[in-house]
Amino acid sequence: MATQINPCCSSSTTFSPSSLNQETFFSAKLFNFSRKSSPSRWVFKIHSRINPKNQFELKSSNGYPLNAVSLQDVGPNNVMNQSHLPSFNSLRRLFLISCYHFLLAFRVGAAEKPLAKEVVLPEQTGSSLSVTIVGASGDLAKKKIFPALFALFYEDCLPRNFIIFGYARTLMTDEELREIISRTLTCRIDKRENCGDKMEEFLQRCFYHSGQYNSKEDFAGLNNELKQKEDGKSSNRLFYLSIPPDIFVDAVRCASCEASSKTGWTRVIVEKPFGRDLESSAELTRSLKKYLAEDQIFRIDHYLGKELVENLSVLRFSNLVFEPLWSRNYIRNVQFIFSEDFGTEGRGGYFDNYGIIRDIMQNHLLQILALFAMETPVSLDAEDIRNEKVKVLRSMKRLCLEDVVTGQYKGQSKGGKSYLGYTEDPTVPNNSVTPTFAAAAFFIDNARWDGVPFLMKAGKALNTRRAEIRVQFRHVPGNLYKRSFGMDMDKATNELVLRVQPDEAIYLKINSKVPGLGMRLDRSDLNLLYSTRYPKEIPDAYERLLLDAIEGERRLFIRSDELNAAWSIFTPLLKELETKKIAPELYPYGSRGPVGAHYLAAKYNVRWGDTAGDE
Amino acid sequence: MAAFSTSMTHCPSSSSSSSAAAFASNSCAINRIHQQIALSSIRLTRKLCLRKPSRAVHVQDGASTMKVSPAKNDGPAKILKDGMLSVPPVILPEESIDIASLDLNKESSTVSITVVGASGDLAKKKIFPALFALYYEGCLPKHFTIFGYARSKMSDAELRTMVSKTLTCRIDQRENCGEKMDQFLERCFYHPGQYDSQENFLELDKKLKEHEDGRVANRLFYLSIPPNIFIDAVKCASTSASSANGWTRVIVEKPFGRDSESSAALTRSLKQYLDEDQIFRIDHYLGKELVENLSVLRFSNLIFEPLWSRQYIRSVQFIFAEDFGTEGRGGYFDNYGIIRDIMQNHLLQMLALFAMETPVSLDAEDIRNEKVKVLRSMRPLRLEDVVTGQYKSHTRGGVKYPAYTDDKTVPNDSLTPTFAAAALFIDNARWDGVPFLMKAGKALHDRRAEIRVQFRHVPGNLYNKNIGTDLDLATNELVIRVQPDEAIYLKINNKVPGLGMRLDRSNLNLLYAARYTKEIPDAYERLLLDAMEGERRLFIRSDELDAAWSLFTPVLKDLEEKKVVPEYYPYGSRGPVGSHYLAARYKVRWGDVGSEQES
Repeated sequence: MATQINPCCSSSTTFSPSSLNQETFFSAKLFNFSRKSSPSRWVFKIHSRINPKNQFELKSSNGYPLNAVSLQDVGPNNVMNQSHLPSFNSLRRLFLISCYHFLLAFRVGAAEKPLAKEVVLPEQTGSSLSVTIVGASGDLAKKKIFPALFALFYEDCLPRNFIIFGYARTLMTDEELREIISRTLTCRIDKRENCGDKMEEFLQRCFYHSGQYNSKEDFAGLNNELKQKEDGKSSNRLFYLSIPPDIFVDAVRCASCEASSKTGWTRVIVEKPFGRDLESSAELTRSLKKYLAEDQIFRIDHYLGKELVENLSVLRFSNLVFEPLWSRNYIRNVQFIFSEDFGTEGRGGYFDNYGIIRDIMQNHLLQILALFAMETPVSLDAEDIRNEKVKVLRSMKRLCLEDVVTGQYKGQSKGGKSYLGYTEDPTVPNNSVTPTFAAAAFFIDNARWDGVPFLMKAGKALNTRRAEIRVQFRHVPGNLYKRSFGMDMDKATNELVLRVQPDEAIYLKINSKVPGLGMRLDRSDLNLLYSTRYPKEIPDAYERLLLDAIEGERRLFIRSDELNAAWSIFTPLLKELETKKIAPELYPYGSRGPVGAHYLAAKYNVRWGDTAGDE
Repeated sequence: MAAFSTSMTHCPSSSSSSSAAAFASNSCAINRIHQQIALSSIRLTRKLCLRKPSRAVHVQDGASTMKVSPAKNDGPAKILKDGMLSVPPVILPEESIDIASLDLNKESSTVSITVVGASGDLAKKKIFPALFALYYEGCLPKHFTIFGYARSKMSDAELRTMVSKTLTCRIDQRENCGEKMDQFLERCFYHPGQYDSQENFLELDKKLKEHEDGRVANRLFYLSIPPNIFIDAVKCASTSASSANGWTRVIVEKPFGRDSESSAALTRSLKQYLDEDQIFRIDHYLGKELVENLSVLRFSNLIFEPLWSRQYIRSVQFIFAEDFGTEGRGGYFDNYGIIRDIMQNHLLQMLALFAMETPVSLDAEDIRNEKVKVLRSMRPLRLEDVVTGQYKSHTRGGVKYPAYTDDKTVPNDSLTPTFAAAALFIDNARWDGVPFLMKAGKALHDRRAEIRVQFRHVPGNLYNKNIGTDLDLATNELVIRVQPDEAIYLKINNKVPGLGMRLDRSNLNLLYAARYTKEIPDAYERLLLDAMEGERRLFIRSDELDAAWSLFTPVLKDLEEKKVVPEYYPYGSRGPVGSHYLAARYKVRWGDVGSEQES
């Protein structure tokens, strides 16, 4: 059953039916405002007449196209050779034909937009990929992006012709950039051969261009360099914006106007923060949309790239045993827990402006919640999944102040070492009331989840570092073994734990009999610890996400309407916290966080799973 | 890991949080407490040991529910049975009890265990060691004596020498082992006698009385003798050696007859001398740790509750395999065959526990009522749904393994099955149409006993494309491995870590050896202790036995009348391929021969 569906296969994914379908669809959509009829449907109809057998591929629902033939179709074969499979080729051919029809219909319109895509159909070997990291000298670039790109290269997941450009204000030579990058590259532990060679090869493909983020000329200069390196091949360009939010829009404008690909796609990966409330986020989206179409924007939430978050859907939808359990009938509450064991450590400038709710809850935890709670999507395609996520987010009650507990860490001396409080951080104002900890209770007002509390907890400077999902099941009604449990029935409920980090694991707490004479029950775990089952290193979330962006797989990126729905849940609360200047509950650095969190849980008759005595 | 603390403990310990100190001297209680894996949150709400017998007063026990209810009230046995009736009935709110009076009672009562057939194999290998283990763990009452009874002439000392050869101490608790052994052996005595001699049993009675020394005498007879002398021994024991002022109970070993008629006749005969609640029919599989745990899993975990029906379960398999043949001891076996020896009792009992409805309580009668119900909902097994096999000789690595019929104790033309596979159905709302497959065999390639629960396909599985063509390989499966290496695991589909989307079946598992370092007690220990405490949950009631036989009797008759030739399979193989076709007929697949790696 080990059907290998590895996105690595498709260095040719540019032409994969799914991406073509979507892109062309979106370029079509852009012009909808100028025409009353729905041209896309019209074209689909034409197409289906031409190619009736293929009809299914082109139906659309919810205003988003279905990727009827998705990557997963490729079949159970060798990873690297999938593009040579006849089935894939024939599908591709069908699609190429359909795309020609499509293009013919929209050629005229496509030229009007600065970044509207021109879909061309070059031979695989003739296309090239350029990844430009805007903000190349930043921390994220050094620690995550370059290493992830190298890992992809090392695993042969990048197309044959690719180049990487660093772009930043600092003056630097290519050599200097390579020097910086090389310090953070590592090879997979399980596959060390040729590591040095590969690194050398990789670095040779890295270049640097210095420029201002708001200078069209500088981006034009970059464009020239890119063109030169692309060497006349059709070019696909990916921009990774690893820059502060205030210069996002400028950079997008310059990149899109001056450095868009004329012969392939252009995509932009954007990092959080995506605004700081509903309005600013909507504003940012509007600005981005001036220069980019929806399907060019890849809002990254690296939690969605984590192995166990990816696995969440697999667990839910490919195991019958979980299916009947996944509702208010059996689940008593769900907890999403994030904790870090360090504070801002002198880098609170950015954080203080946002706080833990915006930094962790509104994006990472809420995204996981949406994946957890959504209805079964029509398919695994990006649009289908994101449609379901939007639905569940829109069914959620807005968070109200009574359902939130905020905290801020204070200084603490432990074992002779003293840890600074949040406000002692020189980059944080002394009177800051920004929460570094928050706990919140959410409710989803739909048939599946009515009344089930979804608890979230996120904090810095706590006693451990972890991210996990805990699903607590209800009591056994009429439990025959009640007497064997003692007074606290809560200790006897089942619990499913997905530990996202560290030490990825899935375990299910069950009651079983302690071996021996007599009848003593104990909660033991049915467990799967990844490190024992899968000796291979688990790839970093950024690798997966970069690869998906390159391949046009949007499943793990956040769509504009999703973002909107997410902000509407949090914005009223955030405003209230700020206007009322609610003082956070102080908790010592390295502690378990404010006790208020327990009272919040108690209010809904539940108990945090991570602080039970049995962990 | 919060350990939920005990109730229903078997041992003569009793403590509520308020009175724990008073019982600190009770070694068994202490042991139990030490067993707790995490002591962080012990909440002692122990059920008092003596509550159990006291229940006899409420007559969950038998009569009301029994099909064959004791009509005659005269025999001495009746009058004398269940001395607990004389105990002030203890009906109590959980925590408050007049402990002192119970304790007093304990002091003045004694238990005598007579192993009838003491020179036999079972006695030496299982019964005496189990008794010693109970003693070692402090689970026997203060005053107890053990008598061996058999035809051979032997002195007490000789018996002790014989017994001492097989005693061992728990690996995890070796202190004082030698000392304890000596103390134990001092309590062992021997009385030679014929199994059908009233006089010999009278002599035994006299000796027992001496040892009981005027205390309330409770007597347990363990009949470890061939079936043809069962009744005689029961008759003599009950008329001549019953306790005059305490209870008298008799543990009976299989075979309980060889079909409906003979089993009913046996029951009738037993009932002439014993009441239903004095008969303890032992099925040692019911004493296995994981069989005990089966009900705990089912009824104390919400997550299994919705799954436990035809809606989610596609098939259930009960598998028993031994990796050796009769090895020169086929005389008994040849008269019974694997279906009677393993399926009709061990596997069927597990099936009944697996499939029964939720009982009203955990009391013996409630559980056995449910087991009877489910057994009576089952269709009698048909010949088409059975595959039989017999092992033939096989040479491997230069070693020649003999065929079943090569065994000197087996007739050359024997058609007795040493392997059988069967498909059973329960015609009730919960299980209609779900095949319950059983497979049992000797001389197979490995040794194991397990329950496999195969779940249905995921309807409309989004990941079908990632699974490949054989969707059967992607269904969930819950495996309860009874032996060896006790384990519970749930096969789930999981994404293989890494880029891409590759699915894989991995196990959510609980391997007992890894989780519980303590040695798991032998089934006989549990069952002996239960019999002494009057806990009948794990013993087979007469109507249960009846129901079980009526499922198998027609097919057994058919097999014998039609002289159905078993399919031959090589010694040490995986058994006849016929079993696969049987499974295939019901569109399922044996889980134990899957190509994947078992953990």
